[in-house]
Amino acid sequence: MELPHYNRAMSVVGIPRALLYHRYGRFWQAYLAGLGFEVKVSSRTTKRTLEDGLGKVSSEVCLPIKIVAGHIEELKDSVDYLFLPRLVWMRDQLYACPKMIGIPDLARINVPKSCKVIAPMIKGDFVLPHLRAGMELTHNPIRVWNAWLKARHELKVRTELPDFPPDVRKVALVSHFYNLGDQYVAQDILDTLTEAGLRIYSKEDLPATVLAGDEGLAGSIRWVYERELYNAFRFYSDKVDGICAVVSFGCGPDSLVTELMRQEARSMKVPFTQLVIDEHTGKAGIVTRLEAFAELVRKHKTAG
Amino acid sequence: MKVSFPYFGTGTVAFKAFFEDFGAEVVLPPPPTRRTLEIGVRHSPEQICLPFKITLGNLIESLELGADTLFMAAGTRKCRFGYYHLVQERVLRELNPGCRLFGLSQYSAFDFVFRRLPSVFGTPQLRAARALRMLLARSSLIHDLDNMVRRLRPHDLSAAEALARDGLKLAGATQGGGDVARVRRELRSRMPSELRPPKARIGIVGEVYLMLEPFANAEIEKELGRLNAHVLVERSLYRHIRRLLNSDPAYLRTARYAARYIGESPGGEVINTVGEAIHFARQGVDGILHIFPFTCMPENMALEIVQKIGDDYQVPVMSLSFDEHTSKTGLVTRLEAFVDMVARRKTARRSKVA
Repeated sequence: MELPHYNRAMSVVGIPRALLYHRYGRFWQAYLAGLGFEVKVSSRTTKRTLEDGLGKVSSEVCLPIKIVAGHIEELKDSVDYLFLPRLVWMRDQLYACPKMIGIPDLARINVPKSCKVIAPMIKGDFVLPHLRAGMELTHNPIRVWNAWLKARHELKVRTELPDFPPDVRKVALVSHFYNLGDQYVAQDILDTLTEAGLRIYSKEDLPATVLAGDEGLAGSIRWVYERELYNAFRFYSDKVDGICAVVSFGCGPDSLVTELMRQEARSMKVPFTQLVIDEHTGKAGIVTRLEAFAELVRKHKTAG
Repeated sequence: MKVSFPYFGTGTVAFKAFFEDFGAEVVLPPPPTRRTLEIGVRHSPEQICLPFKITLGNLIESLELGADTLFMAAGTRKCRFGYYHLVQERVLRELNPGCRLFGLSQYSAFDFVFRRLPSVFGTPQLRAARALRMLLARSSLIHDLDNMVRRLRPHDLSAAEALARDGLKLAGATQGGGDVARVRRELRSRMPSELRPPKARIGIVGEVYLMLEPFANAEIEKELGRLNAHVLVERSLYRHIRRLLNSDPAYLRTARYAARYIGESPGGEVINTVGEAIHFARQGVDGILHIFPFTCMPENMALEIVQKIGDDYQVPVMSLSFDEHTSKTGLVTRLEAFVDMVARRKTARRSKVA
């Protein structure tokens, strides 16, 4: 028999292993543990996770949202709190995409009464909403402050550039961190490219200063992660032998920005391919397309 | 300088007169057709949503007719809609390097009317104020006209269509506040005093372009009217402009309702969609239709919430997404089934009460 939560030794806070978890997960885990909670991160994405999520959201949303819905399904009955920060905008009024903003509302209508959704609203400042959420959970400012002090080193951003060895064939994998960070989505893609002898560079290998730039078209892109994506594309475009954009079907921002990237790649004569993924994507299709792309990258190298 | 802009349902007439009040020569593209859509699709990114394709097709058609100064709604924030003009401008410049496309930012409407437009047309700001006043007056007239037409359709479809046609012609030709009031009285007098009760009352919520442009929604209102349903729509160009100018009292109610389900707007018109759905449910409509473009980001997040509202308030809800492959026949079949279902449900409930 399960005990009511006030009888348990510790309340459990659940974090879905999806979307923003792939960037802030370590910080969240450290912070919530510091607050004195048992942190439960949902297990890695499987086919089952995805199937659970499919019924909970509209059929037209993108793959990452279906996945996060699956993770919420997994957690909702076994945790007391669900930790789902709502990113609305970051510095300079750079917005998150509508779907990311809407997730806590979807979670609220899907979870049972025993599970409370904690959704600190991030508008510009990142730290303060987290402190406020800590207060909501513990009502103890000293504990919140100590937890923050202990967890904040997990927020360190990368400052050094990756190296570009001249004798290796290099390919930039342009995609969101929550696609590449999820092994269910990205493992086949990464494996195929590695097996083809290519060195992979992603957006996460770049320092924040490069990703935040606003030169050229980046200035008119006002989605925070799309701007990062576009800056990564610009940075890599003259340093690698090929660019592969991994886009999930139904991703709205990507549908516009990838089009801009495609036009620029064509004018710069860099091999560019766009891989559209959704819940029906099979391994065979990915491998075939990426092998063809790898061949193209090799040819490009010899020609150059 | 020949000014043009994409069609926006019945509000097109008010916009045309608005630009003419600035002293501009307006070249309207033909109303959107299959051809418009085909042109738009040819020049659009593969996965973009439907309004992009139709408006782009419309803009290209107006270039063909000799327009060189184009206007398009914009406002880069959360929804893709705000970015349309950036991509469209690239396409249009390739086709006609001499053309200009102005993005009308929805988040700074005052700035646009009183600074950008007077500088484009070289008119004094006083004239802008007059143009804005007339835009509101005319769009408010069209708002009333649309509601009359919606009420008349289940009673007499052909009379309703005639009223819509004549009403728009009269509304476009109005020259001042008194003129608008006269036309409004004249149109009201054409409504029969006794109206047959409709088979069902159906509220429509969703994405604003899809709701207001009949070509985009495959004339869903007319089809529902043909099925003897009274269509209720809260959204209109008038309300939209009033909201952008922060002066729509009805929006306060909408936002208050929506706050029960939504902590923060995911962009687009989700606040309106959710708030109006609750409003309709409280008004006791027989069914709610939620319409949006295929893969629309904000409305797909609203979809689950609208369904939940349907559960909470015991109202049937049907969600329909539209893209260039939507067939009218398929749509009509689904509408027929929906209207029959809600009508039967209504009579069953009534007999249960009695």
